[in-house]
Amino acid sequence: MTSDNNSGQSINRVKYKTQNMKILENQFENRLELVSYVSSLVNWLDDANPSPVIGNKQAAKDKLNAIEPKQYVRTRNFLDGKVTYLSPYIRHGMLTLNQVRNHALNKCESPEQIEKFIQELAWRDYWQRIYQSRPDYIWHDVEPYKTGYNATDYADDLPDDIARGETGVACIDQFIHTLLDTGYMHNHTRMYVAAYTVHWRRIKWQAGARWFLHHLLDADPASNNLSWQWVASTFSNKPYIFNLENVRKYAHDEINTGAADNQVLDASYETLTAQLFPNKTQ
Amino acid sequence: MNSLIWLHEDALRYDHPVFDKAGENSHTCYIWDADYLQSMDYGFKRLCFIYEAVCDLPVTIYSGNTVDVLGKLVSVKQATQLLVPTTPNPRLGSIITKLSEKMQVHTVEDIAFVKTKSNADIRRFFRYWNKTKKLAMQIDGKNA
Repeated sequence: MTSDNNSGQSINRVKYKTQNMKILENQFENRLELVSYVSSLVNWLDDANPSPVIGNKQAAKDKLNAIEPKQYVRTRNFLDGKVTYLSPYIRHGMLTLNQVRNHALNKCESPEQIEKFIQELAWRDYWQRIYQSRPDYIWHDVEPYKTGYNATDYADDLPDDIARGETGVACIDQFIHTLLDTGYMHNHTRMYVAAYTVHWRRIKWQAGARWFLHHLLDADPASNNLSWQWVASTFSNKPYIFNLENVRKYAHDEINTGAADNQVLDASYETLTAQLFPNKTQ
Repeated sequence: MNSLIWLHEDALRYDHPVFDKAGENSHTCYIWDADYLQSMDYGFKRLCFIYEAVCDLPVTIYSGNTVDVLGKLVSVKQATQLLVPTTPNPRLGSIITKLSEKMQVHTVEDIAFVKTKSNADIRRFFRYWNKTKKLAMQIDGKNA
Protein backbone atom coordinates (compact mmCIF):
# COMPACT_ATOMS: atom_id res chain seq x y z
CA MET A 1 0.00 0.00 0.00
CA THR A 2 1.29 3.43 -0.81
CA SER A 3 0.62 6.72 0.88
CA ASP A 4 1.62 10.32 0.28
CA ASN A 5 2.25 10.75 3.96
CA ASN A 6 5.98 10.19 3.52
CA SER A 7 9.07 11.73 2.02
CA GLY A 8 7.48 11.71 -1.42
CA GLN A 9 4.93 14.27 -0.36
CA SER A 10 6.82 17.30 -1.63
CA ILE A 11 7.10 15.72 -5.07
CA ASN A 12 3.42 14.97 -5.05
CA ARG A 13 2.59 18.49 -3.95
CA VAL A 14 4.17 19.86 -7.12
CA LYS A 15 2.42 17.29 -9.24
CA TYR A 16 -0.97 17.98 -7.67
CA LYS A 17 -0.54 21.71 -7.98
CA THR A 18 -0.94 21.33 -11.73
CA GLN A 19 -4.27 19.64 -11.05
CA ASN A 20 -5.41 22.49 -8.77
CA MET A 21 -5.65 20.21 -5.80
CA LYS A 22 -4.67 21.64 -2.46
CA ILE A 23 -3.06 19.34 0.08
CA LEU A 24 -3.57 20.24 3.73
CA GLU A 25 -1.08 19.86 6.55
CA ASN A 26 -1.24 16.72 8.66
CA GLN A 27 1.87 17.04 10.81
CA PHE A 28 1.87 19.35 13.82
CA GLU A 29 4.25 19.97 16.68
CA ASN A 30 1.45 19.92 19.21
CA ARG A 31 -2.31 20.06 19.59
CA LEU A 32 -2.35 23.84 19.89
CA GLU A 33 -0.78 24.11 16.46
CA LEU A 34 -3.31 21.71 15.01
CA VAL A 35 -6.20 23.62 16.59
CA SER A 36 -4.89 26.88 15.20
CA TYR A 37 -4.55 25.34 11.73
CA VAL A 38 -8.11 23.97 11.81
CA SER A 39 -9.30 27.38 12.92
CA SER A 40 -7.75 28.86 9.76
CA LEU A 41 -9.75 26.36 7.66
CA VAL A 42 -13.16 27.17 9.11
CA ASN A 43 -13.67 30.86 8.55
CA TRP A 44 -17.44 30.36 8.71
CA LEU A 45 -17.27 29.68 12.46
CA ASP A 46 -16.68 32.14 15.30
CA ASP A 47 -15.73 29.55 17.90
CA ALA A 48 -12.14 28.27 18.00
CA ASN A 49 -12.10 26.33 21.26
CA PRO A 50 -11.39 22.62 20.95
CA SER A 51 -12.97 19.93 23.06
CA PRO A 52 -10.82 18.37 25.78
CA VAL A 53 -11.68 15.05 24.08
CA ILE A 54 -8.71 14.03 21.93
CA GLY A 55 -9.47 12.70 18.46
CA ASN A 56 -6.75 10.16 17.83
CA LYS A 57 -6.26 6.41 17.81
CA GLN A 58 -4.32 6.30 21.08
CA ALA A 59 -7.05 8.21 22.90
CA ALA A 60 -9.65 5.79 21.53
CA LYS A 61 -7.53 2.85 22.60
CA ASP A 62 -7.00 4.28 26.09
CA LYS A 63 -10.73 4.85 26.53
CA LEU A 64 -11.47 1.32 25.34
CA ASN A 65 -8.95 -0.19 27.74
CA ALA A 66 -10.46 1.81 30.60
CA ILE A 67 -14.02 0.54 30.23
CA GLU A 68 -15.57 -1.24 33.19
CA PRO A 69 -18.63 -2.97 31.74
CA LYS A 70 -19.87 -4.52 34.97
CA GLN A 71 -19.68 -1.18 36.80
CA TYR A 72 -21.30 0.47 33.78
CA VAL A 73 -24.32 -1.79 34.19
CA ARG A 74 -24.78 -0.69 37.80
CA THR A 75 -23.93 2.99 37.55
CA ARG A 76 -24.54 4.23 33.98
CA ASN A 77 -27.54 6.41 34.88
CA PHE A 78 -25.58 8.35 37.49
CA LEU A 79 -23.89 11.47 36.16
CA ASP A 80 -20.62 10.36 37.73
CA GLY A 81 -21.17 6.69 36.82
CA LYS A 82 -18.71 4.51 34.95
CA VAL A 83 -19.72 5.52 31.45
CA THR A 84 -17.20 4.80 28.71
CA TYR A 85 -16.85 8.09 26.74
CA LEU A 86 -16.38 5.91 23.65
CA SER A 87 -19.23 7.47 21.66
CA PRO A 88 -17.21 10.05 19.65
CA TYR A 89 -14.83 7.29 18.52
CA ILE A 90 -17.66 4.94 17.60
CA ARG A 91 -19.50 7.73 15.80
CA HIS A 92 -16.56 8.41 13.52
CA GLY A 93 -15.69 4.78 12.87
CA MET A 94 -12.48 4.89 14.90
CA LEU A 95 -13.84 1.97 16.93
CA THR A 96 -16.46 -0.55 15.82
CA LEU A 97 -19.36 -1.79 17.93
CA ASN A 98 -17.98 -5.29 17.36
CA GLN A 99 -14.59 -4.31 18.78
CA VAL A 100 -16.14 -2.68 21.86
CA ARG A 101 -18.50 -5.61 22.49
CA ASN A 102 -15.69 -8.16 22.16
CA HIS A 103 -13.47 -6.15 24.47
CA ALA A 104 -16.27 -5.93 27.04
CA LEU A 105 -17.01 -9.65 26.84
CA ASN A 106 -13.36 -10.36 27.57
CA LYS A 107 -13.66 -8.31 30.76
CA CYS A 108 -16.45 -10.37 32.30
CA GLU A 109 -17.09 -13.94 33.35
CA SER A 110 -20.39 -14.32 31.50
CA PRO A 111 -22.21 -12.22 28.85
CA GLU A 112 -25.29 -11.93 31.07
CA GLN A 113 -23.30 -9.79 33.53
CA ILE A 114 -22.99 -7.05 30.93
CA GLU A 115 -26.26 -7.37 29.04
CA LYS A 116 -27.15 -3.71 29.60
CA PHE A 117 -23.75 -2.63 28.28
CA ILE A 118 -24.22 -4.65 25.09
CA GLN A 119 -27.79 -3.44 24.81
CA GLU A 120 -26.57 0.16 24.72
CA LEU A 121 -24.26 -0.77 21.83
CA ALA A 122 -27.26 -2.40 20.19
CA TRP A 123 -29.15 0.90 20.40
CA ARG A 124 -26.49 2.43 18.16
CA ASP A 125 -26.77 -0.48 15.73
CA TYR A 126 -30.56 -0.13 15.78
CA TRP A 127 -30.46 3.61 14.98
CA GLN A 128 -28.02 2.99 12.14
CA ARG A 129 -30.30 0.34 10.64
CA ILE A 130 -33.18 2.81 10.69
CA TYR A 131 -30.97 5.49 9.12
CA GLN A 132 -30.14 3.06 6.33
CA SER A 133 -33.64 1.79 5.67
CA ARG A 134 -35.80 4.83 6.59
CA PRO A 135 -33.77 8.02 6.09
CA ASP A 136 -37.09 9.87 5.93
CA TYR A 137 -37.48 9.24 9.68
CA ILE A 138 -34.49 11.40 10.53
CA TRP A 139 -36.04 14.86 10.24
CA HIS A 140 -39.76 14.08 10.13
CA ASP A 141 -42.10 13.03 12.92
CA VAL A 142 -42.25 9.25 12.71
CA GLU A 143 -45.60 9.35 14.54
CA PRO A 144 -47.81 12.14 15.97
CA TYR A 145 -46.91 13.61 19.37
CA LYS A 146 -48.67 11.78 22.20
CA THR A 147 -48.77 14.86 24.39
CA GLY A 148 -52.22 16.21 23.58
CA TYR A 149 -50.61 18.76 21.25
CA ASN A 150 -50.15 18.81 17.49
CA ALA A 151 -46.76 19.42 15.88
CA THR A 152 -47.95 22.91 14.93
CA ASP A 153 -48.31 23.76 18.63
CA TYR A 154 -44.52 23.56 19.02
CA ALA A 155 -42.18 26.45 18.14
CA ASP A 156 -39.79 26.02 15.20
CA ASP A 157 -36.72 27.70 16.66
CA LEU A 158 -34.59 27.14 19.71
CA PRO A 159 -34.82 30.14 22.07
CA ASP A 160 -31.54 31.96 22.75
CA ASP A 161 -31.72 31.35 26.48
CA ILE A 162 -31.63 27.59 25.89
CA ALA A 163 -28.88 27.89 23.26
CA ARG A 164 -26.74 29.88 25.71
CA GLY A 165 -27.58 27.92 28.85
CA GLU A 166 -29.40 30.85 30.46
CA THR A 167 -32.81 29.36 31.10
CA GLY A 168 -32.79 30.15 34.81
CA VAL A 169 -33.27 26.47 35.64
CA ALA A 170 -29.98 25.84 37.40
CA CYS A 171 -29.33 22.18 36.62
CA ILE A 172 -30.46 22.52 33.01
CA ASP A 173 -28.10 25.46 32.53
CA GLN A 174 -25.23 23.45 34.01
CA PHE A 175 -25.92 20.56 31.62
CA ILE A 176 -26.03 22.96 28.66
CA HIS A 177 -22.74 24.57 29.68
CA THR A 178 -21.10 21.15 29.74
CA LEU A 179 -22.32 20.68 26.17
CA LEU A 180 -21.03 24.06 25.03
CA ASP A 181 -17.68 23.73 26.83
CA THR A 182 -16.80 20.12 26.02
CA GLY A 183 -18.91 18.87 23.12
CA TYR A 184 -19.97 15.97 25.32
CA MET A 185 -22.92 15.23 27.62
CA HIS A 186 -23.84 12.26 29.77
CA ASN A 187 -26.78 10.45 28.18
CA HIS A 188 -29.05 11.17 31.13
CA THR A 189 -28.42 14.91 30.89
CA ARG A 190 -29.19 14.77 27.15
CA MET A 191 -32.58 13.33 28.04
CA TYR A 192 -33.18 15.99 30.72
CA VAL A 193 -32.27 18.85 28.38
CA ALA A 194 -34.27 17.37 25.49
CA ALA A 195 -37.34 16.86 27.68
CA TYR A 196 -37.05 20.37 29.13
CA THR A 197 -36.77 21.84 25.62
CA VAL A 198 -39.64 19.92 24.04
CA HIS A 199 -42.09 19.56 26.94
CA TRP A 200 -41.45 22.47 29.30
CA ARG A 201 -40.75 25.01 26.54
CA ARG A 202 -42.81 23.38 23.76
CA ILE A 203 -40.12 23.61 21.09
CA LYS A 204 -40.09 21.24 18.12
CA TRP A 205 -37.66 18.37 18.67
CA GLN A 206 -36.03 19.19 15.33
CA ALA A 207 -34.74 22.51 16.71
CA GLY A 208 -33.13 20.76 19.65
CA ALA A 209 -31.75 17.96 17.51
CA ARG A 210 -30.10 20.48 15.16
CA TRP A 211 -28.55 22.23 18.15
CA PHE A 212 -27.11 18.99 19.58
CA LEU A 213 -25.80 17.97 16.15
CA HIS A 214 -23.86 21.21 16.00
CA HIS A 215 -22.22 20.84 19.39
CA LEU A 216 -21.88 17.14 20.27
CA LEU A 217 -18.76 15.34 19.07
CA ASP A 218 -20.63 12.07 18.87
CA ALA A 219 -23.97 13.14 17.47
CA ASP A 220 -25.09 11.56 14.26
CA PRO A 221 -28.45 12.21 12.70
CA ALA A 222 -29.76 8.74 13.50
CA SER A 223 -28.86 8.32 17.19
CA ASN A 224 -29.38 11.99 17.96
CA ASN A 225 -32.60 12.75 16.11
CA LEU A 226 -34.35 9.49 16.87
CA SER A 227 -33.48 9.89 20.55
CA TRP A 228 -35.02 13.37 20.47
CA GLN A 229 -38.09 11.78 18.84
CA TRP A 230 -38.14 9.18 21.60
CA VAL A 231 -38.22 11.95 24.23
CA ALA A 232 -40.78 13.97 22.26
CA SER A 233 -43.04 10.89 21.84
CA THR A 234 -43.01 10.98 18.04
CA PHE A 235 -41.06 7.70 18.10
CA SER A 236 -42.25 6.23 21.40
CA ASN A 237 -45.50 5.48 23.14
CA LYS A 238 -45.41 8.38 25.60
CA PRO A 239 -43.45 11.58 26.24
CA TYR A 240 -40.37 11.30 28.46
CA ILE A 241 -40.38 13.68 31.41
CA PHE A 242 -38.43 13.87 34.66
CA ASN A 243 -38.59 15.84 37.87
CA LEU A 244 -36.14 17.39 40.31
CA GLU A 245 -36.25 14.34 42.55
CA ASN A 246 -35.00 12.25 39.65
CA VAL A 247 -32.15 14.68 38.94
CA ARG A 248 -31.19 14.63 42.63
CA LYS A 249 -31.09 10.83 42.57
CA TYR A 250 -28.61 10.69 39.70
CA ALA A 251 -26.66 13.96 39.99
CA HIS A 252 -23.39 14.51 41.84
CA ASP A 253 -22.52 17.26 44.30
CA GLU A 254 -21.48 19.80 41.65
CA ILE A 255 -24.97 19.96 40.17
CA ASN A 256 -27.23 22.57 41.72
CA THR A 257 -30.43 20.71 42.55
CA GLY A 258 -31.79 23.28 44.96
CA ALA A 259 -35.56 23.65 44.82
CA ALA A 260 -35.44 27.44 44.63
CA ASP A 261 -33.14 27.31 41.61
CA ASN A 262 -35.11 24.63 39.74
CA GLN A 263 -38.69 25.51 40.54
CA VAL A 264 -40.30 24.32 37.30
CA LEU A 265 -38.92 20.83 37.86
CA ASP A 266 -39.86 20.55 41.52
CA ALA A 267 -43.13 18.62 41.43
CA SER A 268 -44.48 15.09 41.34
CA TYR A 269 -44.88 13.28 38.03
CA GLU A 270 -48.65 13.52 38.36
CA THR A 271 -48.52 17.29 38.81
CA LEU A 272 -46.01 17.77 35.99
CA THR A 273 -48.03 15.58 33.63
CA ALA A 274 -51.14 17.65 34.35
CA GLN A 275 -49.22 20.91 33.88
CA LEU A 276 -47.28 19.97 30.77
CA PHE A 277 -49.94 17.92 28.97
CA PRO A 278 -53.34 19.33 30.01
CA ASN A 279 -54.97 18.09 26.81
CA LYS A 280 -53.59 14.58 27.01
CA THR A 281 -56.42 12.07 27.30
CA GLN A 282 -54.54 9.09 28.71
CA MET B 1 -5.52 -3.00 -9.99
CA ASN B 2 -4.87 0.53 -8.71
CA SER B 3 -7.42 1.56 -6.15
CA LEU B 4 -8.23 4.91 -4.69
CA ILE B 5 -9.71 4.77 -1.17
CA TRP B 6 -11.81 7.65 0.04
CA LEU B 7 -12.05 7.66 3.83
CA HIS B 8 -14.92 9.84 4.97
CA GLU B 9 -16.01 10.96 8.42
CA ASP B 10 -17.86 7.71 9.21
CA ALA B 11 -14.78 5.49 8.88
CA LEU B 12 -11.70 7.17 10.30
CA ARG B 13 -9.52 4.16 10.92
CA TYR B 14 -6.98 2.10 9.08
CA ASP B 15 -8.31 -1.42 9.58
CA HIS B 16 -11.66 -0.94 7.87
CA PRO B 17 -12.45 -3.82 5.45
CA VAL B 18 -12.11 -1.32 2.60
CA PHE B 19 -8.34 -1.78 2.85
CA ASP B 20 -8.58 -5.56 2.39
CA LYS B 21 -10.62 -4.94 -0.72
CA ALA B 22 -8.06 -2.46 -2.07
CA GLY B 23 -5.03 -4.70 -2.11
CA GLU B 24 -1.49 -3.39 -2.32
CA ASN B 25 -1.62 -0.75 -5.05
CA SER B 26 -3.79 1.83 -3.42
CA HIS B 27 -3.80 5.45 -2.44
CA THR B 28 -5.87 6.70 0.49
CA CYS B 29 -7.30 10.16 0.86
CA TYR B 30 -9.56 12.26 3.01
CA ILE B 31 -11.27 15.30 1.48
CA TRP B 32 -11.74 18.43 3.58
CA ASP B 33 -14.81 19.66 1.73
CA ALA B 34 -15.82 22.99 3.29
CA ASP B 35 -19.21 23.06 1.55
CA TYR B 36 -20.05 19.59 2.81
CA LEU B 37 -18.87 20.37 6.34
CA GLN B 38 -20.89 23.57 6.43
CA SER B 39 -23.94 21.67 5.19
CA MET B 40 -23.54 19.33 8.17
CA ASP B 41 -23.43 22.40 10.47
CA TYR B 42 -20.71 20.93 12.68
CA GLY B 43 -19.25 23.16 15.36
CA PHE B 44 -15.55 23.83 15.79
CA LYS B 45 -15.06 21.12 18.42
CA ARG B 46 -16.38 18.44 16.09
CA LEU B 47 -14.36 19.70 13.12
CA CYS B 48 -11.24 19.75 15.24
CA PHE B 49 -11.92 16.23 16.49
CA ILE B 50 -12.36 14.96 12.92
CA TYR B 51 -9.21 16.71 11.70
CA GLU B 52 -7.22 15.34 14.61
CA ALA B 53 -8.45 11.83 13.79
CA VAL B 54 -7.54 12.21 10.12
CA CYS B 55 -4.05 13.46 10.95
CA ASP B 56 -3.50 10.27 12.91
CA LEU B 57 -4.03 8.21 9.75
CA PRO B 58 -1.50 7.71 6.95
CA VAL B 59 -3.68 9.45 4.41
CA THR B 60 -3.30 12.57 2.32
CA ILE B 61 -5.76 15.34 3.16
CA TYR B 62 -7.02 17.27 0.14
CA SER B 63 -9.07 20.41 0.24
CA GLY B 64 -11.89 21.02 -2.20
CA ASN B 65 -15.14 19.74 -3.61
CA THR B 66 -15.22 15.99 -2.99
CA VAL B 67 -16.47 14.97 -6.44
CA ASP B 68 -13.98 17.23 -8.22
CA VAL B 69 -10.99 16.19 -6.13
CA LEU B 70 -11.73 12.48 -6.38
CA GLY B 71 -12.28 12.80 -10.13
CA LYS B 72 -8.85 14.37 -10.51
CA LEU B 73 -7.21 11.90 -8.15
CA VAL B 74 -8.54 8.90 -10.03
CA SER B 75 -6.93 10.32 -13.13
CA VAL B 76 -3.63 11.31 -11.50
CA LYS B 77 -3.30 8.00 -9.66
CA GLN B 78 -4.53 6.04 -12.69
CA ALA B 79 -6.93 4.29 -10.36
CA THR B 80 -9.27 1.77 -11.88
CA GLN B 81 -11.68 1.81 -8.97
CA LEU B 82 -12.75 4.04 -6.11
CA LEU B 83 -13.43 2.27 -2.82
CA VAL B 84 -15.61 3.89 -0.18
CA PRO B 85 -16.70 2.63 3.25
CA THR B 86 -20.48 2.20 3.30
CA THR B 87 -22.37 4.99 5.04
CA PRO B 88 -26.06 5.63 5.74
CA ASN B 89 -25.45 9.40 5.50
CA PRO B 90 -27.63 10.60 2.58
CA ARG B 91 -25.35 13.57 1.84
CA LEU B 92 -22.37 11.27 1.43
CA GLY B 93 -24.65 8.87 -0.46
CA SER B 94 -25.49 11.61 -2.92
CA ILE B 95 -21.78 12.29 -3.46
CA ILE B 96 -21.18 8.56 -4.03
CA THR B 97 -23.99 8.51 -6.60
CA LYS B 98 -22.43 11.43 -8.47
CA LEU B 99 -19.05 9.71 -8.41
CA SER B 100 -20.61 6.50 -9.75
CA GLU B 101 -21.61 8.38 -12.88
CA LYS B 102 -17.97 9.18 -13.56
CA MET B 103 -16.00 6.17 -12.33
CA GLN B 104 -16.18 2.65 -11.01
CA VAL B 105 -17.16 2.95 -7.34
CA HIS B 106 -17.44 0.13 -4.81
CA THR B 107 -18.82 0.65 -1.33
CA VAL B 108 -17.47 -1.67 1.36
CA GLU B 109 -19.44 -2.66 4.47
CA ASP B 110 -17.86 -2.33 7.90
CA ILE B 111 -17.63 -5.25 10.33
CA ALA B 112 -21.19 -5.96 11.52
CA PHE B 113 -22.29 -5.81 15.15
CA VAL B 114 -24.55 -8.81 14.61
CA LYS B 115 -24.59 -10.98 11.54
CA THR B 116 -28.26 -11.45 10.74
CA LYS B 117 -29.47 -13.30 7.66
CA SER B 118 -32.41 -11.00 7.06
CA ASN B 119 -33.43 -7.54 8.14
CA ALA B 120 -34.48 -7.52 11.76
CA ASP B 121 -37.79 -5.97 12.79
CA ILE B 122 -36.91 -2.34 13.53
CA ARG B 123 -40.32 -0.85 14.28
CA ARG B 124 -39.35 -0.57 17.96
CA PHE B 125 -36.01 -1.19 19.61
CA PHE B 126 -37.11 -4.13 21.74
CA ARG B 127 -38.47 -6.01 18.74
CA TYR B 128 -35.02 -5.67 17.17
CA TRP B 129 -33.28 -6.53 20.47
CA ASN B 130 -35.37 -9.63 21.11
CA LYS B 131 -34.44 -10.93 17.66
CA THR B 132 -30.72 -10.10 17.84
CA LYS B 133 -29.87 -10.43 21.54
CA LYS B 134 -28.63 -14.01 21.36
CA LEU B 135 -26.03 -13.16 18.70
CA ALA B 136 -25.25 -9.70 20.06
CA MET B 137 -24.12 -11.24 23.35
CA GLN B 138 -21.45 -13.33 21.64
CA ILE B 139 -17.96 -12.58 20.37
CA ASP B 140 -18.15 -11.17 16.84
CA GLY B 141 -21.95 -11.25 17.04
CA LYS B 142 -22.24 -14.76 15.71
CA ASN B 143 -22.52 -18.32 16.95
CA ALA B 144 -19.19 -19.83 17.94
